[in-house]
Amino acid sequence: MGTAGLDELDFGKLSVVDLLGTEVEMFTAGQGAPLLFLHGLDGLEGSAAALRELAGSFTVFAPSHPGFGASARPARLNRVDDLGYFYLDLMDLLSLDRPLVVGTSFGGWVAAETLTKEPARASGIVLASPLGLPTADRREQYVADIFMLSRQALGARMQRGAPLPGSDMAALTKMPEDRIRRLMRNDEAASLYGWTPYMSNPKLPDRLHRIAAPALVLWGEEDAIVSSAYREAWRAALPQAEVESIAGAGHRLHADQPAAFASRLAAFVGC
Amino acid sequence: MKIWQFSEQAYHPAFQAPGSMRVTLPQHLCDPVEAGQLLNRYLDEYLLADELGLNIMVNEHHAAATCMSTSCMTTLAILARQTRKARLLALGVPLANRSNPLRVAEEIAMVDCLSGGRLEVGLVKGAAYELFMSNRQPTGFMDRFWEAHDLILAALTNQGDNFSWEGEHFHYRTVSLWPRPIQQPHPPIWGTASSASSAREYGRRDYHCATFLSGAVARSVFAGYREAYAEAHGRQPSQDKLAYLALVACADDTATAFRRAERMKSYFTTAARLDPQFRNPWGFNAVEANVRMLQAGPAAMRPRMRNGEPLPVDGSIEQYMDAGLFFVGTPDEVYSQLARFHGETGGFGNLLMMGQAGELDHAETADNLTLVAREVAPRLAELPEHNLEVRYEAVG
Repeated sequence: MGTAGLDELDFGKLSVVDLLGTEVEMFTAGQGAPLLFLHGLDGLEGSAAALRELAGSFTVFAPSHPGFGASARPARLNRVDDLGYFYLDLMDLLSLDRPLVVGTSFGGWVAAETLTKEPARASGIVLASPLGLPTADRREQYVADIFMLSRQALGARMQRGAPLPGSDMAALTKMPEDRIRRLMRNDEAASLYGWTPYMSNPKLPDRLHRIAAPALVLWGEEDAIVSSAYREAWRAALPQAEVESIAGAGHRLHADQPAAFASRLAAFVGC
Repeated sequence: MKIWQFSEQAYHPAFQAPGSMRVTLPQHLCDPVEAGQLLNRYLDEYLLADELGLNIMVNEHHAAATCMSTSCMTTLAILARQTRKARLLALGVPLANRSNPLRVAEEIAMVDCLSGGRLEVGLVKGAAYELFMSNRQPTGFMDRFWEAHDLILAALTNQGDNFSWEGEHFHYRTVSLWPRPIQQPHPPIWGTASSASSAREYGRRDYHCATFLSGAVARSVFAGYREAYAEAHGRQPSQDKLAYLALVACADDTATAFRRAERMKSYFTTAARLDPQFRNPWGFNAVEANVRMLQAGPAAMRPRMRNGEPLPVDGSIEQYMDAGLFFVGTPDEVYSQLARFHGETGGFGNLLMMGQAGELDHAETADNLTLVAREVAPRLAELPEHNLEVRYEAVG
């Protein structure tokens, strides 16, 4: 897997780090307090606008999760629970001392799993449209099932603004091969971690009380993936968190409102 | 050439409903009394096939109006007792969708016993869209397939002590197969392939290899099989190892045969009715296979007509015949079409014949099967073994 050709990330450095024998694609940019950014289903490439804004106030460390983008994946690393330990190891490797840990969507789940295991490792935690709590109860679904939606329908529902280019089959087939490969790896990894139980760890609710760091939970006012009942479940599971809705934003609120997202984070840490 | 009668056992009254015929089709569209009548009718046609000296193939699908057989082994348990001579082929058991491979082995052994050792077992991956019903993890599908396969074969063939199994995916404290199969070391195993590379694995393992509705591609599938078989076993495989699945509409006159074919054609048009997101669940295909598929475009997977154009889903009977998916006409015409196709593909020993498909009714199906069995099958049985030099042909 090459990491070349991500023009949207030209404002920082894309490199590969070796974490205990696993090659991890790592994007770094900006200056300021350290921030570990854990991307969502849209991968690093779908986070570019937000990363650009965050780089104005933070030193941003943004890895591709194992199996996503150009990151390898150890054969038995197949649960988000495993990713929690993986990111504790990665923070050790990068000597990241109490960064701000930020996760969007699927990445919010990863952030929560990581900090339930070692609560003192973050100066704060920001969850934007997080997944990870149980997404359904028997016949009642709190989170839209992305695997049951067409690529086009899903692409349109993920944010308020324009869909990502890969959402259109015709456009997807004409993309450069390495871009197609990244998107297929992102889909495969989403399926690996999130097929069943659907985008959640049933044990996470009982572990969230361990997160002691200041917490901020953000939702897009027009999120068409996550229901209001699900937001309430997060509020109940993380009672110390500040909760805020961002206007003019869908599930990918970091893509719809990158500047508002970044300035809210800067305000949260007081810089 | 041996002929195997096969019907998908469709609930064709639902074909008129709009939209997808699979995955999302609401079950209230099924009248269970009518479903029962149809299932019994299809079983009657299988019994007729047995009386006529044909063999029998069944399959299974899930959440589909196109196929009401939801378990190969349930259908075959009935036929095992009610038929006398026919070989009984399950093609196949969707292994990677099954959570309990030991249960699969038990059902195989039980049906083999019931039938007096007439069972043949297809172990297949299963349709991608049926992951939505089984809810098995799409990723790592093939690893699970082969571990399930290894466990099933170990259970079927075991003549020693019971054993335990601690695999990557499956775990059993004790494996003890009661009853065990009559056929030893195990019933013949079949696989399905749509490319030379997928056929090679079956050749190496000395399994039967079937290709479904693949037209001209069958030649390269069979060539891949032969090449790998010869390499692994030091001799050419017999044609008996190779099979081709197609629709056959036979009648006393050509016009009637074409009318029958028109009634069967809804098999093709309804099978294609599936919402796009269910065709290829995320993580099911390997990343590189997805990259190649996207770059090749949707027409790449379609069978080709003789002019090289992809066969349209709603093509004419003539176009389906031209592509080698449909054999239609009088017994003479069907024989000569099949003999030609047999020659063009380098030869195969089994015709998996959809003698019932779509909306073809009982009387027409019975006549179709009778004509094929009495007037086509004896001549197909005389087809020579081809001994083509196909060594450098296998591609893909």
